[in-house]
Amino acid sequence: MDNINKQRRTLLKGAISASTLALVAASGLLLPQRLLAHWPSDAFTAETVEDALLALLGEAEVVDDDALWFKVGSPPSYAVNGATVPIQLQSKLENIERIAIIVEKNPNPLAMSFDLSPACQLPLKSMIKIAEDSNVMAVIRAEGRLYKTTRFVEVDIGGCA
Amino acid sequence: MGLTVKDRLRAKLKADHTVVRILLAHPMHTGRGKDEVDTLIPVEFIQDIRCWRNEDEVLSIKCGTATARNPYFSFQLVGGEQGDKITVRWVDNIGAKGLSETIVK
Repeated sequence: MDNINKQRRTLLKGAISASTLALVAASGLLLPQRLLAHWPSDAFTAETVEDALLALLGEAEVVDDDALWFKVGSPPSYAVNGATVPIQLQSKLENIERIAIIVEKNPNPLAMSFDLSPACQLPLKSMIKIAEDSNVMAVIRAEGRLYKTTRFVEVDIGGCA
Repeated sequence: MGLTVKDRLRAKLKADHTVVRILLAHPMHTGRGKDEVDTLIPVEFIQDIRCWRNEDEVLSIKCGTATARNPYFSFQLVGGEQGDKITVRWVDNIGAKGLSETIVK
């Protein structure tokens, strides 16, 4: 009986150390994937603007604000080709933590999100795809508040293919 | 094979800030587009772009499928000096990666 117990103990010990080793190996292997893990998939696959905002920026007081200067399309508010619509965002706000660009009528409204360090400042320029005539929003999270501004854009050729 | 295109990265010092411009070479398929024979092109898009100045991470961009083909970004960094090293790394949804570096001019 004693002998069996001893065997059982060593077996258990072996099993535990083996599993720890496996865990360490797995975490080591996972390291290069860490970048991917940070991608907030629930925010990017959300199908409504509210869900995307909530998942990405959390709950906070939303302020419609003129402190943002937001230009979509060229000339502004118009885009011939929805596959490449230039956007430009400027603001006087300080301590900006995160910026989200949201296209209301796209299948997945959230287009991109920026995490800024204090060393980074606006203006910010990029290109997005817009599926059809739609409102485009820029939402900035700064000091616990959300600043939102909206532009309506007309698109000639939808660009979400 | 088609043309091989490279990621482009430019950083230029202005009076009191550095302007960084990034142009990545990537098709950014949304998973909804079709090719010539009407089959769906599988989803393939850049998810995460990170930018460093010297050793400090200054910006991280998360992209959805609504980022245009060959993603372009332009932003400013506070201060900076000539010779700073700007590094950009990206990774897409199927694990392809890119790295480009430049020196501030």
